[in-house]
Amino acid sequence: MSIRTEKLTHIYMPGTPFAAEALNEVTFEIKKGRVALLIGPSGSGKSTLIQHLNGLLKPTSGQVYFDDQSIQSSKAELLRLRRKIGLVFQMPEEQFFSETVFDEVAFAPRNLGLTDESLAESVYNALNRVGLNAEEFKDRHPFNLSSGQKRLVAIAAVLSIKPEVLILDEPTAGLDPAGRQKLFNLLADLNSNEAITILISTHHFDEVVTLADQVMVLKDGRLVMDGPRDQVFNNREKLESLGLALPSVTELMQDIAAAGFQVKTGIYNLEEARREIGRMKERQF
Amino acid sequence: MVKKPEIIIEAKALEFNYPGDSLNRSSAINGIDMTVNRGEYLAIIGPNGSGKTTLLKLFNALLAPSGGEVLVEGISTVDHEKVPLIRRSCGMIFQNPDNQLVATTVEEDIAFGLENLALPSAEIRQRVTEVAQRLHLDKLLLHPPHLLSGGEKQRVAIAGILAMQPRCILMDEPTAMLDPSGRREVLDTVKALNREEGIAIIHVTHFPEEAAHADRVLVLNQGEVVEDGPAEIILTDLEMLHSYNLQGTAVVELAALLRQDGFNLPTRILHNRELVNSLCQYERKS
Repeated sequence: MSIRTEKLTHIYMPGTPFAAEALNEVTFEIKKGRVALLIGPSGSGKSTLIQHLNGLLKPTSGQVYFDDQSIQSSKAELLRLRRKIGLVFQMPEEQFFSETVFDEVAFAPRNLGLTDESLAESVYNALNRVGLNAEEFKDRHPFNLSSGQKRLVAIAAVLSIKPEVLILDEPTAGLDPAGRQKLFNLLADLNSNEAITILISTHHFDEVVTLADQVMVLKDGRLVMDGPRDQVFNNREKLESLGLALPSVTELMQDIAAAGFQVKTGIYNLEEARREIGRMKERQF
Repeated sequence: MVKKPEIIIEAKALEFNYPGDSLNRSSAINGIDMTVNRGEYLAIIGPNGSGKTTLLKLFNALLAPSGGEVLVEGISTVDHEKVPLIRRSCGMIFQNPDNQLVATTVEEDIAFGLENLALPSAEIRQRVTEVAQRLHLDKLLLHPPHLLSGGEKQRVAIAGILAMQPRCILMDEPTAMLDPSGRREVLDTVKALNREEGIAIIHVTHFPEEAAHADRVLVLNQGEVVEDGPAEIILTDLEMLHSYNLQGTAVVELAALLRQDGFNLPTRILHNRELVNSLCQYERKS
């Protein structure tokens, strides 16, 4: 049970003078129930890659497999897959088009043929799932919500079809710290309580990195790093040469280690950092 | 005699309500009095919906006040005939450069504002060349903007503003769409313009790391200025930041936790090197 790609290659406008290779033989696997981060400089192919994972783009060559089934095998398979893999685009609230929060969230389940009570049930569940009280929010106009609430409605719209995999493209862009925290808690909860597999593509990973099992790095359409979180973030020089940064807490711990202190540097949140420096104090001071 | 700082922007009892917004009980901007001085680097932070973007739009005459007034170099933003003058002296950079780049080549994009001023073409050419060199865009002048990286696009947007020879640049989350190297590229550019050419910067951001580049930080909450002071004081006052649902930088947050654990650290630690230095001194003492 996993989502994986094999030698995925995508060329935009092939056979024309504008042909541009966006992905070059990308092979990876995300195991069921894991959280993976996809990072890389702008233009490295992250969004192109994501759009292959639920069949919005067709590979020029190579394959995408979900549960060992190729998603290109048939149209029926592709449809089945789109229900299981939910994709949340960048700034998803910019695509809102309904008059009420209810209709916005109901769009996908309605298209799957749900009506009346089962439709209402899936909408209510999805809204409550993201922490928005369904009774309070269902009749409000989506444009009159705060940015954080809009983002949650957009995610509820994807959760309404009960996906097994959730893919998010830059999910915290434009959110304030409170909004980012809320989103983080939601993702943590979806992953730990419902074993939803999560792939997050982002430049701002300070919060979500604490959830990640696996980190993948794209550069110029090639997967240049892929491994457990500690392994990838231990290679600061390589990341910086790719124009990428470390999570702030990890960077801070590495700065402390570089000053000659014996500390563990594979640390991603403040509480861990606090404990590690406390231990260092006992040992060294 | 102490020379009085020259004021670029002044808000007096400024109020703004979005028309028809009956759901919001409070105003978007709720009685703000403030000034921005020439050459100052000011960061504005605050939760979503606190009025940051609205305030910038009021400074740039994109919105007209519902009450009070905004003076840009002494000119009121409701003076219709003077609006072009205001926008020339205070240019605005938006979150997404794609919303702001209009021409088919970088060169034409930088020249766009100048052409609208109907300047002689020789002068336009000269200014575009100068600005492009200043921002290291000279090799990209004939490139189409949409094929540039995010950081390059944002620098083209800044170049277009810079060509107008502004006194002040307003930036609304200018790095939100950029990768770390694009972010660094834009922040370094803006800092250099501020330090070397004395252009005032007003920088709205959700990231305390970015606000730390400023000299002065202002906190907005529910349309009001609730804090206003030097960056090292505002950004290290965690109790205050948390009370508005804001965060400190990782190092500020960690230093606070370590103090709770009995580490005797100086109060104003804002950068990684300051914490590392304090820990080193700690070691030497014990």
